[in-house]
Amino acid sequence: MEKLFQAVYGGILYGSIYGLMAIGLTLIWGSLRMLNMAMGALYVVGGFLTWTAYKQWDLPPLVAIAIGVLAAAVIGLLIQVLLINRLLGRSSFFNAAMIATVGAAIMIESAALLIYGPRVKQMPPIVAGQSKIIGVVIQYQNLVIIAVTVISLIALSIFLKKTRYGLAIQAVSQQMDAARLMGIPTVMTFMIVATIGAAFAGLAGSLLSSVFYVSPTAGYAPLTKALIVTIFGGLGSIKGTIWAAYIIGILEAFLIVYFGAGFALPVLFLFMILMLVIRPSGLFGLGEVQRL
Amino acid sequence: MLKVTDLQAGYAGSEVLHSLSLEVRDGESVVVLGPNGHGKTTLLRAISGLIRPTGGRIEFDGQDITHKRASDIVAAGVIHIPQGDLPFPELTVIENLLMGAYRSDAWRQRKYKLEQVFELFPVLKERPNQLARSLSGGERRMLALGRGLMSKAKLLMIDEPSLGLAPFLVENVYETIRSIRNTGLSILLVDENADHIADLADRVYLLEAGSLIKEGGASEMLHDEALLAAYLG
Repeated sequence: MEKLFQAVYGGILYGSIYGLMAIGLTLIWGSLRMLNMAMGALYVVGGFLTWTAYKQWDLPPLVAIAIGVLAAAVIGLLIQVLLINRLLGRSSFFNAAMIATVGAAIMIESAALLIYGPRVKQMPPIVAGQSKIIGVVIQYQNLVIIAVTVISLIALSIFLKKTRYGLAIQAVSQQMDAARLMGIPTVMTFMIVATIGAAFAGLAGSLLSSVFYVSPTAGYAPLTKALIVTIFGGLGSIKGTIWAAYIIGILEAFLIVYFGAGFALPVLFLFMILMLVIRPSGLFGLGEVQRL
Repeated sequence: MLKVTDLQAGYAGSEVLHSLSLEVRDGESVVVLGPNGHGKTTLLRAISGLIRPTGGRIEFDGQDITHKRASDIVAAGVIHIPQGDLPFPELTVIENLLMGAYRSDAWRQRKYKLEQVFELFPVLKERPNQLARSLSGGERRMLALGRGLMSKAKLLMIDEPSLGLAPFLVENVYETIRSIRNTGLSILLVDENADHIADLADRVYLLEAGSLIKEGGASEMLHDEALLAAYLG
Protein backbone atom coordinates (compact mmCIF):
# COMPACT_ATOMS: atom_id res chain seq x y z
CA MET A 1 0.00 0.00 0.00
CA GLU A 2 2.77 2.36 0.96
CA LYS A 3 4.68 1.48 -2.17
CA LEU A 4 1.62 1.90 -4.32
CA PHE A 5 0.88 5.33 -2.91
CA GLN A 6 4.54 6.26 -3.22
CA ALA A 7 4.48 5.28 -6.89
CA VAL A 8 1.28 7.16 -7.69
CA TYR A 9 2.43 10.27 -5.89
CA GLY A 10 5.85 10.16 -7.53
CA GLY A 11 4.22 9.50 -10.89
CA ILE A 12 1.99 12.54 -10.67
CA LEU A 13 4.97 14.66 -9.72
CA TYR A 14 7.13 13.34 -12.60
CA GLY A 15 4.18 13.57 -14.96
CA SER A 16 3.71 17.23 -14.11
CA ILE A 17 7.34 18.02 -14.79
CA TYR A 18 7.33 16.09 -18.07
CA GLY A 19 4.11 17.78 -19.07
CA LEU A 20 5.67 21.21 -18.62
CA MET A 21 8.72 20.23 -20.65
CA ALA A 22 6.83 18.41 -23.39
CA ILE A 23 4.08 20.93 -24.02
CA GLY A 24 6.47 23.29 -25.77
CA LEU A 25 7.89 20.54 -27.96
CA THR A 26 4.44 19.48 -29.04
CA LEU A 27 3.12 23.01 -29.64
CA ILE A 28 6.13 23.85 -31.75
CA TRP A 29 5.87 20.59 -33.65
CA GLY A 30 2.18 21.32 -34.23
CA SER A 31 2.70 24.63 -35.94
CA LEU A 32 6.21 24.36 -37.39
CA ARG A 33 6.74 20.60 -37.79
CA MET A 34 10.16 20.82 -36.21
CA LEU A 35 11.82 19.61 -33.03
CA ASN A 36 13.13 22.34 -30.79
CA MET A 37 16.23 20.81 -29.22
CA ALA A 38 16.89 23.97 -27.20
CA MET A 39 14.10 23.12 -24.74
CA GLY A 40 16.62 21.60 -22.33
CA ALA A 41 18.72 24.76 -22.46
CA LEU A 42 15.64 26.89 -21.83
CA TYR A 43 14.95 24.75 -18.78
CA VAL A 44 18.45 25.63 -17.58
CA VAL A 45 17.83 29.33 -18.25
CA GLY A 46 14.69 29.16 -16.10
CA GLY A 47 16.58 27.46 -13.27
CA PHE A 48 19.59 29.78 -13.23
CA LEU A 49 17.64 33.00 -13.52
CA THR A 50 15.33 31.96 -10.72
CA TRP A 51 18.37 31.16 -8.58
CA THR A 52 20.01 34.49 -9.44
CA ALA A 53 16.88 36.49 -8.72
CA TYR A 54 16.40 34.77 -5.39
CA LYS A 55 19.95 34.39 -4.11
CA GLN A 56 21.71 37.39 -5.60
CA TRP A 57 18.94 39.93 -6.00
CA ASP A 58 17.09 38.88 -2.83
CA LEU A 59 13.70 38.78 -4.51
CA PRO A 60 10.82 36.73 -3.11
CA PRO A 61 10.56 33.17 -4.50
CA LEU A 62 7.45 33.79 -6.61
CA VAL A 63 9.00 36.84 -8.26
CA ALA A 64 12.17 34.83 -8.82
CA ILE A 65 10.16 32.13 -10.58
CA ALA A 66 8.43 34.74 -12.74
CA ILE A 67 11.84 36.11 -13.74
CA GLY A 68 13.07 32.64 -14.65
CA VAL A 69 10.01 32.02 -16.81
CA LEU A 70 10.28 35.41 -18.47
CA ALA A 71 13.97 34.95 -19.26
CA ALA A 72 13.33 31.57 -20.88
CA ALA A 73 10.42 33.02 -22.88
CA VAL A 74 12.55 35.90 -24.17
CA ILE A 75 15.39 33.59 -25.18
CA GLY A 76 12.94 31.19 -26.81
CA LEU A 77 11.52 34.08 -28.83
CA LEU A 78 15.03 35.20 -29.81
CA ILE A 79 15.86 31.70 -31.06
CA GLN A 80 12.72 31.81 -33.17
CA VAL A 81 13.36 35.28 -34.59
CA LEU A 82 17.11 35.05 -35.11
CA LEU A 83 17.36 31.43 -36.26
CA ILE A 84 14.15 29.61 -37.13
CA ASN A 85 12.36 32.41 -38.98
CA ARG A 86 15.33 32.62 -41.34
CA LEU A 87 15.09 28.95 -42.19
CA LEU A 88 11.36 28.94 -43.01
CA GLY A 89 10.46 27.71 -46.45
CA ARG A 90 13.72 25.85 -47.07
CA SER A 91 13.36 22.35 -48.42
CA SER A 92 15.56 21.00 -45.62
CA PHE A 93 13.70 22.96 -42.94
CA PHE A 94 13.26 20.10 -40.49
CA ASN A 95 16.96 19.20 -40.33
CA ALA A 96 18.16 22.78 -40.49
CA ALA A 97 15.88 23.84 -37.66
CA MET A 98 16.86 20.89 -35.50
CA ILE A 99 20.57 21.55 -35.97
CA ALA A 100 20.08 25.28 -35.39
CA THR A 101 18.34 24.61 -32.08
CA VAL A 102 21.05 22.17 -31.03
CA GLY A 103 23.51 24.97 -31.78
CA ALA A 104 21.47 27.42 -29.72
CA ALA A 105 21.39 24.93 -26.85
CA ILE A 106 25.18 24.58 -26.89
CA MET A 107 25.59 28.37 -26.91
CA ILE A 108 23.23 28.80 -23.97
CA GLU A 109 24.87 26.04 -21.95
CA SER A 110 28.34 27.43 -22.63
CA ALA A 111 27.17 30.88 -21.61
CA ALA A 112 25.75 29.39 -18.40
CA LEU A 113 29.08 27.70 -17.74
CA LEU A 114 30.98 30.98 -18.21
CA ILE A 115 28.59 32.95 -16.03
CA TYR A 116 27.84 30.50 -13.25
CA GLY A 117 30.79 28.13 -13.38
CA PRO A 118 30.61 24.36 -13.20
CA ARG A 119 29.42 24.12 -9.61
CA VAL A 120 25.78 23.23 -9.15
CA LYS A 121 23.34 25.64 -7.54
CA GLN A 122 20.28 24.89 -5.50
CA MET A 123 17.26 26.92 -4.52
CA PRO A 124 15.74 26.44 -1.09
CA PRO A 125 12.18 25.05 -1.23
CA ILE A 126 9.49 27.52 -2.31
CA VAL A 127 7.33 26.27 0.50
CA ALA A 128 9.15 24.49 3.30
CA GLY A 129 7.71 21.66 5.32
CA GLN A 130 6.36 18.20 4.76
CA SER A 131 3.96 15.72 6.22
CA LYS A 132 3.55 11.99 6.19
CA ILE A 133 0.51 10.44 4.54
CA ILE A 134 0.09 6.65 4.44
CA GLY A 135 3.75 6.35 5.34
CA VAL A 136 4.93 8.48 2.41
CA VAL A 137 6.73 11.76 2.97
CA ILE A 138 4.95 14.48 1.00
CA GLN A 139 6.95 17.67 0.62
CA TYR A 140 4.81 20.73 0.31
CA GLN A 141 6.94 22.13 -2.47
CA ASN A 142 6.12 19.10 -4.59
CA LEU A 143 2.44 19.79 -4.08
CA VAL A 144 3.08 23.35 -5.22
CA ILE A 145 4.82 22.03 -8.34
CA ILE A 146 1.88 19.76 -9.14
CA ALA A 147 -0.64 22.53 -8.53
CA VAL A 148 1.24 25.10 -10.62
CA THR A 149 1.57 22.61 -13.46
CA VAL A 150 -2.08 21.66 -13.48
CA ILE A 151 -3.15 25.31 -13.33
CA SER A 152 -0.83 26.34 -16.16
CA LEU A 153 -1.88 23.43 -18.36
CA ILE A 154 -5.53 24.33 -17.80
CA ALA A 155 -4.77 27.98 -18.55
CA LEU A 156 -3.04 26.94 -21.78
CA SER A 157 -6.02 24.80 -22.81
CA ILE A 158 -8.39 27.69 -22.21
CA PHE A 159 -6.12 29.99 -24.20
CA LEU A 160 -6.01 27.53 -27.11
CA LYS A 161 -9.74 26.84 -27.06
CA LYS A 162 -11.28 30.17 -26.22
CA THR A 163 -9.16 32.97 -27.59
CA ARG A 164 -8.63 34.21 -31.10
CA TYR A 165 -4.86 33.72 -30.98
CA GLY A 166 -5.19 30.30 -29.39
CA LEU A 167 -7.63 29.11 -32.05
CA ALA A 168 -5.29 30.52 -34.69
CA ILE A 169 -2.45 28.38 -33.30
CA GLN A 170 -4.65 25.31 -33.68
CA ALA A 171 -5.75 26.40 -37.14
CA VAL A 172 -2.14 26.77 -38.29
CA SER A 173 -1.26 23.34 -36.96
CA GLN A 174 -4.27 21.62 -38.56
CA GLN A 175 -4.47 23.25 -41.98
CA MET A 176 -1.69 25.65 -42.83
CA ASP A 177 -2.98 26.78 -46.24
CA ALA A 178 -6.48 27.45 -44.94
CA ALA A 179 -5.02 29.35 -41.97
CA ARG A 180 -3.16 31.61 -44.41
CA LEU A 181 -6.34 32.12 -46.40
CA MET A 182 -8.09 33.27 -43.22
CA GLY A 183 -5.50 36.02 -42.93
CA ILE A 184 -3.74 34.44 -39.96
CA PRO A 185 -0.15 35.73 -39.95
CA THR A 186 1.75 32.47 -39.74
CA VAL A 187 5.16 33.81 -38.77
CA MET A 188 3.64 35.73 -35.89
CA THR A 189 1.84 32.57 -34.80
CA PHE A 190 5.15 30.68 -34.84
CA MET A 191 6.64 33.35 -32.61
CA ILE A 192 3.78 33.12 -30.12
CA VAL A 193 4.12 29.35 -30.02
CA ALA A 194 7.90 29.48 -29.57
CA THR A 195 7.50 31.94 -26.70
CA ILE A 196 4.83 29.91 -24.91
CA GLY A 197 6.84 26.69 -25.33
CA ALA A 198 9.97 28.32 -23.96
CA ALA A 199 8.04 29.81 -21.05
CA PHE A 200 6.80 26.34 -20.08
CA ALA A 201 10.31 24.88 -20.26
CA GLY A 202 11.50 27.82 -18.17
CA LEU A 203 8.73 27.17 -15.66
CA ALA A 204 9.83 23.55 -15.36
CA GLY A 205 13.45 24.58 -14.76
CA SER A 206 12.40 27.27 -12.37
CA LEU A 207 10.14 25.08 -10.24
CA LEU A 208 12.65 22.26 -10.16
CA SER A 209 15.55 24.45 -9.12
CA SER A 210 14.47 23.75 -5.55
CA VAL A 211 14.19 19.98 -6.08
CA PHE A 212 17.20 19.17 -8.21
CA TYR A 213 20.43 21.05 -8.67
CA VAL A 214 20.79 23.62 -11.42
CA SER A 215 23.79 23.14 -13.66
CA PRO A 216 24.60 24.07 -17.27
CA THR A 217 23.82 20.57 -18.48
CA ALA A 218 20.81 19.94 -16.25
CA GLY A 219 18.49 20.22 -19.25
CA TYR A 220 19.40 17.00 -21.03
CA ALA A 221 17.51 14.58 -18.81
CA PRO A 222 14.24 16.53 -18.95
CA LEU A 223 14.64 17.05 -22.71
CA THR A 224 15.06 13.31 -23.22
CA LYS A 225 11.98 12.57 -21.12
CA ALA A 226 10.02 15.25 -22.94
CA LEU A 227 10.95 13.70 -26.29
CA ILE A 228 9.78 10.29 -25.08
CA VAL A 229 6.55 11.84 -23.84
CA THR A 230 5.77 13.77 -27.04
CA ILE A 231 6.54 10.81 -29.28
CA PHE A 232 4.46 8.54 -27.06
CA GLY A 233 1.53 10.96 -26.91
CA GLY A 234 1.64 11.94 -30.56
CA LEU A 235 3.64 14.91 -31.77
CA GLY A 236 1.47 17.98 -32.15
CA SER A 237 -1.36 16.77 -29.94
CA ILE A 238 -1.78 18.72 -26.72
CA LYS A 239 -4.21 16.20 -25.31
CA GLY A 240 -1.94 13.29 -26.20
CA THR A 241 1.07 15.01 -24.67
CA ILE A 242 -0.65 15.65 -21.34
CA TRP A 243 -1.95 12.08 -21.17
CA ALA A 244 1.45 10.71 -22.12
CA ALA A 245 3.23 12.90 -19.56
CA TYR A 246 1.24 11.39 -16.71
CA ILE A 247 1.28 7.85 -18.13
CA ILE A 248 5.06 7.96 -18.55
CA GLY A 249 5.50 9.67 -15.19
CA ILE A 250 3.45 7.06 -13.32
CA LEU A 251 5.08 4.22 -15.23
CA GLU A 252 8.51 5.53 -14.33
CA ALA A 253 7.57 5.94 -10.68
CA PHE A 254 6.24 2.37 -10.54
CA LEU A 255 9.44 1.04 -12.11
CA ILE A 256 11.56 2.94 -9.63
CA VAL A 257 9.53 1.93 -6.58
CA TYR A 258 9.15 -1.74 -7.50
CA PHE A 259 12.24 -2.54 -9.56
CA GLY A 260 14.78 0.17 -8.83
CA ALA A 261 15.85 3.30 -10.66
CA GLY A 262 18.12 1.46 -13.07
CA PHE A 263 15.14 0.00 -14.88
CA ALA A 264 13.32 3.24 -15.47
CA LEU A 265 14.97 4.68 -18.57
CA PRO A 266 15.50 1.43 -20.50
CA VAL A 267 11.87 0.40 -20.01
CA LEU A 268 10.63 3.85 -20.98
CA PHE A 269 12.61 3.68 -24.20
CA LEU A 270 11.26 0.22 -24.80
CA PHE A 271 7.76 1.63 -24.41
CA MET A 272 8.51 4.39 -26.83
CA ILE A 273 9.88 1.95 -29.39
CA LEU A 274 6.84 -0.29 -28.99
CA MET A 275 4.60 2.70 -29.50
CA LEU A 276 6.49 3.66 -32.65
CA VAL A 277 6.05 0.13 -33.98
CA ILE A 278 2.37 -0.22 -33.11
CA ARG A 279 1.17 3.35 -33.59
CA PRO A 280 3.83 5.51 -35.24
CA SER A 281 1.86 8.72 -34.79
CA GLY A 282 1.48 8.18 -31.05
CA LEU A 283 -1.64 8.16 -28.88
CA PHE A 284 -3.27 11.17 -30.56
CA GLY A 285 -0.70 12.18 -33.18
CA LEU A 286 -1.15 14.53 -36.12
CA GLY A 287 0.79 12.38 -38.53
CA GLU A 288 3.86 13.51 -40.34
CA VAL A 289 2.75 15.66 -43.20
CA GLN A 290 5.58 17.82 -44.46
CA ARG A 291 4.36 21.29 -45.24
CA LEU A 292 6.88 24.06 -44.96
CA MET B 1 -11.29 46.07 -58.70
CA LEU B 2 -9.02 43.10 -59.45
CA LYS B 3 -6.60 43.51 -62.31
CA VAL B 4 -4.18 40.75 -63.26
CA THR B 5 -1.59 41.61 -65.88
CA ASP B 6 0.80 39.18 -67.60
CA LEU B 7 0.81 36.90 -64.57
CA GLN B 8 3.34 34.08 -64.48
CA ALA B 9 3.28 31.55 -61.70
CA GLY B 10 3.87 27.90 -60.97
CA TYR B 11 5.67 25.46 -58.73
CA ALA B 12 9.35 24.73 -58.31
CA GLY B 13 10.74 24.65 -61.80
CA SER B 14 7.53 24.33 -63.79
CA GLU B 15 5.60 27.36 -64.88
CA VAL B 16 1.84 26.79 -64.94
CA LEU B 17 0.51 30.22 -65.86
CA HIS B 18 2.02 32.02 -68.84
CA SER B 19 1.30 35.72 -69.21
CA LEU B 20 -2.26 35.59 -68.01
CA SER B 21 -4.32 38.76 -67.82
CA LEU B 22 -7.82 39.17 -66.50
CA GLU B 23 -10.01 41.67 -64.77
CA VAL B 24 -12.90 41.63 -62.33
CA ARG B 25 -14.81 44.91 -62.11
CA ASP B 26 -16.65 46.20 -59.08
CA GLY B 27 -19.73 44.11 -58.31
CA GLU B 28 -19.04 41.83 -61.23
CA SER B 29 -19.19 38.07 -61.27
CA VAL B 30 -16.57 36.49 -63.49
CA VAL B 31 -16.12 32.81 -64.27
CA VAL B 32 -12.91 31.26 -65.55
CA LEU B 33 -13.66 27.99 -67.31
CA GLY B 34 -10.96 25.48 -68.03
CA PRO B 35 -10.26 21.76 -67.99
CA ASN B 36 -8.51 20.06 -65.12
CA GLY B 37 -4.82 20.72 -64.77
CA HIS B 38 -4.70 23.89 -66.85
CA GLY B 39 -3.98 26.32 -64.04
CA LYS B 40 -7.29 27.41 -62.52
CA THR B 41 -6.29 26.61 -58.96
CA THR B 42 -2.80 27.99 -59.51
CA LEU B 43 -4.37 31.26 -60.66
CA LEU B 44 -6.33 31.63 -57.42
CA ARG B 45 -3.39 30.54 -55.28
CA ALA B 46 -1.19 33.15 -56.91
CA ILE B 47 -3.75 35.92 -56.39
CA SER B 48 -4.27 35.04 -52.73
CA GLY B 49 -0.54 34.88 -52.03
CA LEU B 50 -0.25 31.15 -51.30
CA ILE B 51 2.34 30.93 -54.07
CA ARG B 52 4.63 33.71 -55.26
CA PRO B 53 4.07 34.88 -58.83
CA THR B 54 7.28 34.77 -60.86
CA GLY B 55 6.21 37.58 -63.13
CA GLY B 56 3.48 40.05 -63.93
CA ARG B 57 1.36 42.19 -61.69
CA ILE B 58 -1.76 41.80 -59.55
CA GLU B 59 -3.65 44.90 -58.49
CA PHE B 60 -6.59 45.09 -56.14
CA ASP B 61 -8.48 48.33 -55.58
CA GLY B 62 -5.59 50.16 -57.18
CA GLN B 63 -3.09 48.66 -54.77
CA ASP B 64 -0.24 46.40 -55.95
CA ILE B 65 -0.65 43.06 -54.14
CA THR B 66 1.62 40.96 -56.36
CA HIS B 67 4.15 40.12 -53.68
CA LYS B 68 2.12 40.84 -50.57
CA ARG B 69 1.75 38.22 -47.85
CA ALA B 70 -1.42 36.14 -47.79
CA SER B 71 -2.53 37.81 -44.56
CA ASP B 72 -2.23 41.29 -46.13
CA ILE B 73 -4.18 40.17 -49.19
CA VAL B 74 -6.98 38.93 -46.94
CA ALA B 75 -6.86 42.24 -45.12
CA ALA B 76 -7.35 44.01 -48.46
CA GLY B 77 -10.59 42.06 -48.93
CA VAL B 78 -9.65 39.23 -51.31
CA ILE B 79 -11.04 35.98 -49.89
CA HIS B 80 -10.19 32.63 -51.44
CA ILE B 81 -12.41 29.61 -50.81
CA PRO B 82 -10.03 26.80 -51.63
CA GLN B 83 -10.51 23.63 -53.57
CA GLY B 84 -11.30 20.72 -51.26
CA ASP B 85 -12.64 23.10 -48.59
CA LEU B 86 -9.61 22.65 -46.30
CA PRO B 87 -11.56 22.79 -43.03
CA PHE B 88 -9.71 22.82 -39.71
CA PRO B 89 -10.57 19.19 -38.90
CA GLU B 90 -10.21 19.26 -35.12
CA LEU B 91 -12.03 22.55 -34.64
CA THR B 92 -15.79 22.74 -34.29
CA VAL B 93 -18.08 24.31 -36.88
CA ILE B 94 -18.31 27.51 -34.90
CA GLU B 95 -14.55 27.68 -34.28
CA ASN B 96 -13.94 27.17 -38.01
CA LEU B 97 -16.30 30.04 -38.77
CA LEU B 98 -14.67 32.28 -36.18
CA MET B 99 -11.29 31.71 -37.83
CA GLY B 100 -12.83 33.16 -41.00
CA ALA B 101 -13.23 36.38 -39.04
CA TYR B 102 -9.64 36.34 -37.77
CA ARG B 103 -8.66 39.81 -38.98
CA SER B 104 -9.37 42.49 -36.38
CA ASP B 105 -11.97 44.40 -38.38
CA ALA B 106 -13.99 41.26 -39.06
CA TRP B 107 -13.43 39.93 -35.53
CA ARG B 108 -15.21 42.91 -34.01
CA GLN B 109 -18.31 42.04 -36.03
CA ARG B 110 -18.11 38.28 -35.56
CA LYS B 111 -21.45 37.90 -33.76
CA TYR B 112 -23.31 39.76 -36.46
CA LYS B 113 -21.44 37.90 -39.21
CA LEU B 114 -22.18 34.58 -37.56
CA GLU B 115 -25.90 35.34 -37.62
CA GLN B 116 -25.68 36.17 -41.31
CA VAL B 117 -23.83 32.96 -42.12
CA PHE B 118 -26.25 30.88 -40.07
CA GLU B 119 -29.13 32.45 -41.93
CA LEU B 120 -27.57 31.48 -45.23
CA PHE B 121 -26.57 27.99 -44.04
CA PRO B 122 -29.11 26.72 -41.50
CA VAL B 123 -27.42 23.32 -41.60
CA LEU B 124 -24.38 24.85 -39.85
CA LYS B 125 -26.55 26.43 -37.21
CA GLU B 126 -27.89 23.01 -36.26
CA ARG B 127 -24.47 21.65 -35.33
CA PRO B 128 -22.27 24.46 -34.04
CA ASN B 129 -20.21 22.19 -31.79
CA GLN B 130 -19.57 19.33 -34.18
CA LEU B 131 -15.96 18.79 -35.25
CA ALA B 132 -15.38 19.72 -38.87
CA ARG B 133 -13.83 16.36 -39.67
CA SER B 134 -17.12 14.61 -38.98
CA LEU B 135 -19.16 16.73 -41.40
CA SER B 136 -20.50 15.32 -44.65
CA GLY B 137 -19.16 16.56 -47.99
CA GLY B 138 -22.05 18.93 -48.50
CA GLU B 139 -21.79 20.33 -45.00
CA ARG B 140 -18.07 20.86 -45.43
CA ARG B 141 -18.68 22.85 -48.58
CA MET B 142 -21.20 25.02 -46.71
CA LEU B 143 -18.66 25.46 -43.92
CA ALA B 144 -15.98 26.53 -46.39
CA LEU B 145 -18.30 29.10 -47.99
CA GLY B 146 -19.55 30.29 -44.61
CA ARG B 147 -16.01 30.61 -43.28
CA GLY B 148 -15.12 32.77 -46.28
CA LEU B 149 -18.14 34.98 -45.68
CA MET B 150 -17.14 35.60 -42.04
CA SER B 151 -14.43 37.93 -43.36
CA LYS B 152 -14.76 41.43 -44.67
CA ALA B 153 -14.69 40.21 -48.23
CA LYS B 154 -14.85 42.54 -51.20
CA LEU B 155 -13.98 39.87 -53.73
CA LEU B 156 -14.81 36.23 -53.18
CA MET B 157 -12.72 33.74 -55.17
CA ILE B 158 -14.28 30.29 -55.33
CA ASP B 159 -12.46 27.20 -56.59
CA GLU B 160 -14.72 24.58 -58.22
CA PRO B 161 -17.68 24.69 -55.85
CA SER B 162 -19.22 21.48 -57.19
CA LEU B 163 -16.10 19.34 -56.95
CA GLY B 164 -16.75 16.02 -55.21
CA LEU B 165 -20.34 16.81 -54.28
CA ALA B 166 -23.27 14.46 -54.75
CA PRO B 167 -25.26 15.56 -57.83
CA PHE B 168 -28.36 16.54 -55.87
CA LEU B 169 -26.29 19.01 -53.81
CA VAL B 170 -24.61 20.72 -56.72
CA GLU B 171 -27.49 22.95 -57.81
CA ASN B 172 -27.98 23.91 -54.17
CA VAL B 173 -24.40 25.19 -53.93
CA TYR B 174 -24.70 27.32 -57.05
CA GLU B 175 -28.00 28.66 -55.78
CA THR B 176 -26.20 29.75 -52.63
CA ILE B 177 -23.44 31.40 -54.63
CA ARG B 178 -26.06 33.27 -56.64
CA SER B 179 -27.58 34.60 -53.45
CA ILE B 180 -24.12 35.62 -52.20
CA ARG B 181 -23.60 37.39 -55.49
CA ASN B 182 -26.90 39.23 -55.08
CA THR B 183 -25.59 40.82 -51.88
CA GLY B 184 -23.29 42.83 -54.11
CA LEU B 185 -20.04 40.96 -53.50
CA SER B 186 -17.74 40.62 -56.51
CA ILE B 187 -17.04 37.03 -57.45
CA LEU B 188 -14.26 35.26 -59.33
CA LEU B 189 -15.19 31.63 -59.77
CA VAL B 190 -13.15 28.96 -61.52
CA ASP B 191 -14.89 25.88 -62.83
CA GLU B 192 -14.50 22.95 -65.18
CA ASN B 193 -17.96 22.92 -66.66
CA ALA B 194 -20.41 25.52 -67.75
CA ASP B 195 -23.58 23.72 -66.65
CA HIS B 196 -24.45 25.82 -63.64
CA ILE B 197 -23.04 29.24 -64.25
CA ALA B 198 -25.47 30.70 -66.77
CA ASP B 199 -27.42 32.70 -64.17
CA LEU B 200 -24.31 33.55 -62.24
CA ALA B 201 -21.65 34.87 -64.58
CA ASP B 202 -21.46 38.33 -66.09
CA ARG B 203 -18.38 37.49 -68.08
CA VAL B 204 -16.56 34.29 -68.88
CA TYR B 205 -12.91 33.59 -69.65
CA LEU B 206 -11.70 30.37 -71.19
CA LEU B 207 -8.41 29.08 -69.84
CA GLU B 208 -6.23 26.60 -71.63
CA ALA B 209 -2.74 25.42 -70.77
CA GLY B 210 -2.07 28.37 -68.50
CA SER B 211 -3.29 31.09 -70.83
CA LEU B 212 -6.66 32.72 -71.34
CA ILE B 213 -7.74 32.03 -74.89
CA LYS B 214 -11.09 33.77 -75.08
CA GLU B 215 -13.15 36.24 -73.14
CA GLY B 216 -16.68 37.49 -73.53
CA GLY B 217 -20.07 38.26 -72.02
CA ALA B 218 -21.66 35.26 -70.35
CA SER B 219 -24.72 35.08 -72.59
CA GLU B 220 -22.82 34.99 -75.88
CA MET B 221 -20.07 32.68 -74.63
CA LEU B 222 -22.37 30.18 -72.99
CA HIS B 223 -24.67 30.04 -76.00
CA ASP B 224 -21.83 29.27 -78.34
CA GLU B 225 -22.29 25.56 -77.98
CA ALA B 226 -19.81 24.75 -80.69
CA LEU B 227 -17.13 26.63 -78.83
CA LEU B 228 -17.87 25.07 -75.47
CA ALA B 229 -18.08 21.60 -76.94
CA ALA B 230 -14.79 21.97 -78.74
CA TYR B 231 -13.20 23.40 -75.72
CA LEU B 232 -14.57 21.60 -72.68
CA GLY B 233 -15.58 18.41 -74.44
